[in-house]
Amino acid sequence: MDTKIEENQKVNELEKEEHIWQPEIDEINKRQEFAEKLGGEKNIKRQHDTGRLTARERIKALLDDNSFHEYGALTGKATYSEDGSFLESTPANIIIGKGKVNKMKVVVSADDFTVRGGSSEAASPEKMVFAENLALDLQVPLIRLVDAAGGSIKILEKNQSTKIPGYAQWNMAEMLGQAPVVGVALGPCAGLGAVRVVASHFSVMVKEKSQVFAAGPYVVGPGVNEYVTKEELGGSQVHVHKSGVVQNEAKDEEDAFEQVKAFLSYLPSNVHNLPERIELEDSVDRCEDELASIIPRDKRKVYNMRKILKLIFDEGSLFEIGKFHGRSTITMFGRLNGYPVGIMANDPYIYGGSMSAESAEKIAYFVDLCDTFHLPVVNLVDQPGVSIGTQAENKGTIKKAINAMMAISQVNIPWSTVFVRRSFGVAGAAYAPRGRANVRYAWPSAHWGSIPVEGGVEAAFRKELSASENSEQELKNLIDYYRKFESPFRTAERFGIEEMIDPRNTRPVLCEWVEEAYALLPQLVGVRKRTMRL
Amino acid sequence: MILKEVEAEITGSVWKIEVTEGQKVEEDDVLLIIESMKMEIPLLSTIAGVVKEIRVKEGEDLQEGKVAVIIEE
Repeated sequence: MDTKIEENQKVNELEKEEHIWQPEIDEINKRQEFAEKLGGEKNIKRQHDTGRLTARERIKALLDDNSFHEYGALTGKATYSEDGSFLESTPANIIIGKGKVNKMKVVVSADDFTVRGGSSEAASPEKMVFAENLALDLQVPLIRLVDAAGGSIKILEKNQSTKIPGYAQWNMAEMLGQAPVVGVALGPCAGLGAVRVVASHFSVMVKEKSQVFAAGPYVVGPGVNEYVTKEELGGSQVHVHKSGVVQNEAKDEEDAFEQVKAFLSYLPSNVHNLPERIELEDSVDRCEDELASIIPRDKRKVYNMRKILKLIFDEGSLFEIGKFHGRSTITMFGRLNGYPVGIMANDPYIYGGSMSAESAEKIAYFVDLCDTFHLPVVNLVDQPGVSIGTQAENKGTIKKAINAMMAISQVNIPWSTVFVRRSFGVAGAAYAPRGRANVRYAWPSAHWGSIPVEGGVEAAFRKELSASENSEQELKNLIDYYRKFESPFRTAERFGIEEMIDPRNTRPVLCEWVEEAYALLPQLVGVRKRTMRL
Repeated sequence: MILKEVEAEITGSVWKIEVTEGQKVEEDDVLLIIESMKMEIPLLSTIAGVVKEIRVKEGEDLQEGKVAVIIEE
């Protein structure tokens, strides 16, 4: 037979074969169209009327253009004609898939509030857990866009039974040690919804549009006879500004997505890789004159620590985490010569910068975060000590401070300390771990000790001072006498501090350090293991 | 009209009051200075508005969490 005819016959047979499945191929597309329609026009309008985007709009806003690859679009509740052919379907109220954020591969799960208010009744736990495990398997960040009213008692009727809570296949703790997890609260997030927001490396909630709670107002009212609005119970005023359950507040959904993108830009896609350096315009030799007089000579006066950070780190590189909780400590991501670093600093405006119970919790979380993803840390220290007084004791501040201290001492990342002013007491000792590439610098305004001269003198000489006729003058004399020992130069003479620097040189010095730190990082990658704390 | 209670961040004594009732303030303006831990720690306005009420006096001891000033937005 002619070879050409033979080839044509083969092609025809192939085409014929492809067409055998055309009805089913059409059904895939038809079913996908139902998935695109979410919970229907009426419910989409209702979602928009509350100032919230739909799950698909959110995915589009978050991910790089055309990067979304969906899994499980066909999951849902279908209806069939008498002859068993497909009629229509309502999708499950969670959309999952992979995509890219600033070119980094991620897995995303997005609750669809337009299908039964995101309630468990229309949920697909298998899909939710698959997204979690997919991120773990692919070793890429997981972003959860949460907007779910929570469990519904009607699920009992649907399943004709109850089940012990939990998901055996969901390994949340393992994921937190392997790749970045971000929780975004975009509506009410109750029970499991709250867990999916909070059990993350970074959480953000939209102001006045989202709430996070163990149980919502309809359960709380009859449960504990407390009738409150969902905003009073778990709005950002509660969880960002008071409890610290959620780290950041966003003014709208777009802002929340920008914060997610910013957060991920400092991190590697998993713990087996290094954070990525980016090219920046800022010069490594930039020395800001203002730094030479930014700390007041009068020890009673405070100053603006955030301004110092802006003057030192790469221009426009600072991203603050948990600004409104544990406010005496500032925690940020930033860059030095384009290299991502974690930044800790004291804010003297709040509690004088001391270590409160809340800031101790914040420190423990932040150093774990940096250690997990191998971000070198720069600590700018002005630490007056652990918060004191009856309120501080009642909060168990000393124990929380020790927990923070343990967290710091267990990290194995390179760490640089810059003493800008005070470093006193128990908290004053918790400024750095013992490890490699850990260098300490001091500004001329630095001073330190187990107890400050002011206060310390009054405590040690209380008998003498109370017996003295001229106690005020006596106190002044004693303070003057002890203060002369406080000069950091006396410490430097004894090699108690490695280097005293002109504050203007802080940036060049740290830019040199960060190169050394990143040269060490390849030896430190992998999953971090930690021992027991308190 | 929103009333915002500005609470003392730290236990100490009121060293100096920097505003008067009826005065316009911006966010982060210093309302008063608390002397605590041998330092002068400013209490800043959390919103822009008008000082509606000052609930403390100079020299008075105050506990963390006590409402010191009320600002009307």
